[in-house]
Amino acid sequence: MRKRFLGIAMASVMGLSTVAGCATTTVEEAGEATADTEVATEETADGEAATEETAEATEESDGNSATSLTGEGDKNLHVFLYMQEHEKKIYEQLVKEFVEEHKSEVGEVVFEITTQDEYNQKMIANMTANDMPDVFYVGPAAVRSYVDNGYIIPLDDYVDADTISKVWGTTQTIYRYDGTNVGEGSIYALPKDLSCFAFAYNKDLFDAAGLEYPDPNKPYTYDEFVEVCEKLTIDKDGDGEIDQWGVANADQFGMTPFLYSNGVKFLNDDMTKVNVANNEPLKEALTFYTDLTKNGLTPSVEQDTALGGYQRWLDGQVAFYACGTWDVAAFMDDATFPYEWDLCGWPVGPSGDGRSHTWMGSVGYCVSATSENPDLAAQLVAKLSTDEDGQRAVSGITTGESIQLPNIVDLAYGEFKDAVNNGTVPYASNVDVIFGYFDGNDNYEAALQETDYTYNGEWFTPFWSGVFNIKNGDITVEEYLQQVEPEMQAALDEAIELQNSATK
Amino acid sequence: MASKKVKVRMSAMAKREERWAWLFIAAPFVGFMLFMAYPIVFALIASTSKWTGINSLWGNIVGLRNYAKILADAKFWKAMGTTIIYMIGIPIGMILGMLIAMGLNRKIPGRRVLTTMYYVPVVSSLVAVSILWAWVFNYDYGLLNGIYKAITGLHGPNWLGDETMVKVSMIIFMVWKGLGGTVILYLAGLQNIPRDYYEAAMIDGANGWQKFRNITLPLLSPVTFYVLITSLIGGFQVFVEVQVMTPSGGPNYSSATVVFYLFEKAFTNGQLGYGSAVAVILAIIIFIITAINFWGQDKWVKTID
Repeated sequence: MRKRFLGIAMASVMGLSTVAGCATTTVEEAGEATADTEVATEETADGEAATEETAEATEESDGNSATSLTGEGDKNLHVFLYMQEHEKKIYEQLVKEFVEEHKSEVGEVVFEITTQDEYNQKMIANMTANDMPDVFYVGPAAVRSYVDNGYIIPLDDYVDADTISKVWGTTQTIYRYDGTNVGEGSIYALPKDLSCFAFAYNKDLFDAAGLEYPDPNKPYTYDEFVEVCEKLTIDKDGDGEIDQWGVANADQFGMTPFLYSNGVKFLNDDMTKVNVANNEPLKEALTFYTDLTKNGLTPSVEQDTALGGYQRWLDGQVAFYACGTWDVAAFMDDATFPYEWDLCGWPVGPSGDGRSHTWMGSVGYCVSATSENPDLAAQLVAKLSTDEDGQRAVSGITTGESIQLPNIVDLAYGEFKDAVNNGTVPYASNVDVIFGYFDGNDNYEAALQETDYTYNGEWFTPFWSGVFNIKNGDITVEEYLQQVEPEMQAALDEAIELQNSATK
Repeated sequence: MASKKVKVRMSAMAKREERWAWLFIAAPFVGFMLFMAYPIVFALIASTSKWTGINSLWGNIVGLRNYAKILADAKFWKAMGTTIIYMIGIPIGMILGMLIAMGLNRKIPGRRVLTTMYYVPVVSSLVAVSILWAWVFNYDYGLLNGIYKAITGLHGPNWLGDETMVKVSMIIFMVWKGLGGTVILYLAGLQNIPRDYYEAAMIDGANGWQKFRNITLPLLSPVTFYVLITSLIGGFQVFVEVQVMTPSGGPNYSSATVVFYLFEKAFTNGQLGYGSAVAVILAIIIFIITAINFWGQDKWVKTID
């Protein structure tokens, strides 16, 4: 009897530990999750030293830190962001300047930085506890739910229109929301950055094949692209096996630019219906895309599981590869990528608008609705986003290391391009390709991904994750699109429902 | 007439000691309430909501709808099927563990070194060894296919890229990772069996198999029981190796486990309420299986007394 009781007791504890989250302890043991303990030290100046601005920071190897800066006033701010180490130094300097400039108002500014992984968890905890920092991030995708749930306030009243008009047009639009539509109404955030997924080519492989470089002012058509890739797909060492390919593509991120450039949209205009089963541009573009692999112009599906496209690109095995703005620094580094390279546009399909399309991303600074000092918080946001010296530093004009492209348009086309051309900033010389995507022109256009507008991206997962079956020849494009649509629609319906439930 | 209260008098010292006793009891109790009971209750409530982490939990209670959805979700059942298939590794690990323990129980030279070697994977970081094995299983550059090619001259299987092979790979990995722990437990169990049982059997003329069948196996049954229970529970909670070796859940979601599915739902897709419901279902399953095991143990688990 006692044994039986023990048994039931043990079963209960073991079972329930799953619910209490103990199942994930293995991850923690493995060192993935870092301690949740607060590493922030908030050290304020003591009595007589109050006039002096003091900075005290605790640096932790796990990427968490909090710096406290004090002024002479009584307004306190808590800034909570994620950043990489080298960015942090620059932004910390900006916050210091800000405290100096607003000395009489600022009591204390706590500048807390964490890693991207931990950021989301901590924010959920903050939201659940209703204890929000004054300044934090919002992505274009989250603006709607943050506003609907009353977490953030419009910045129009606090930041002057001139400041807002300095940044890329796109970033002026994507953080607007009028209660119904994103892209219209009040502005809720200023950009921390804007990035996009451009295309790159390995100049050395072009030279070796005796081919002309791609024209940055005229992206290839689908046909031209195949032609070039055929010439670049070769057996270099003559052992009978192909060891250099025209291109490598990662289905999750690198497929959509090919499709978008053929005018593909996965959802209808109000983002409620998946449109893939009877989508002619998609059929055409997906056939083109999967044929690249079927015809051997990319590594095979098996080869791709062994070594991903990114590694093959770094190793000089593929002539074309995707290049996010965040990849540029790595590709410019000779130790990482010992080849000459430059930017170009994604190939353009016959059924699109004749322009090369890609997706872009951004994250913005916003101000909490519970902030006691929204004015000061908004001023800080404006400083972080659009301070010219700050932007010179993060873009590399003054530091020689480009962490991101400038948010300020004039700075981008002016000083930044000059710095690229005269070699101060190591950057691909065809940077106009990226600016073209940002701004939109006769050749280029970029937009947020459709998954950015839906509550989550789950509806797109079945699509990209099964495309390898087409490449393998296990299913035709036509059959695939018929088969995947219901699953996508079900996930989209779920996302819409969650979106609608996102009100307090 | 009011009844008189019977007062139990305590000395001052006893009182003081009692207060200390309460304090000692309070520490684990408060810990349990905060870190077990509260999250459990919270997860139970969250599992009946459309909580996303951003919206309000209480404003989005939907009753048992998450549960109904999960039970109708093909992806959940696929992940559950895979989780159960992975459990093929449990008997394999137990048999191998017992054999190795019996070998190590003999006075062979270097057995301490061997025991340590078998135990190293157990104490190694799961993430680190998962990354290592992802390379061992690599299609073009992996150790296994390298050996295969050297022997047969042919290209080996696509360990992590094929729907069936990825399951085989995961089972191999899990057996390798857990073997050391099983060996140590069986070794301890073997060393607890009194020598005279075997001597008595020898006098009765029992052969090696009979001694194993009638002495070793029954007297190891408590260890077997323990290993079985903990492996089954651990088996339902497999996550890290899947996440590391096949970050998107394998080709056509063929390597994803229930916890992987849960994680994806809750933390990638922001469906914390739904994820909580998956956790509750998993807890119920583990509870039932463990309870069945305990009820069934009288049939086969023997102790020395």
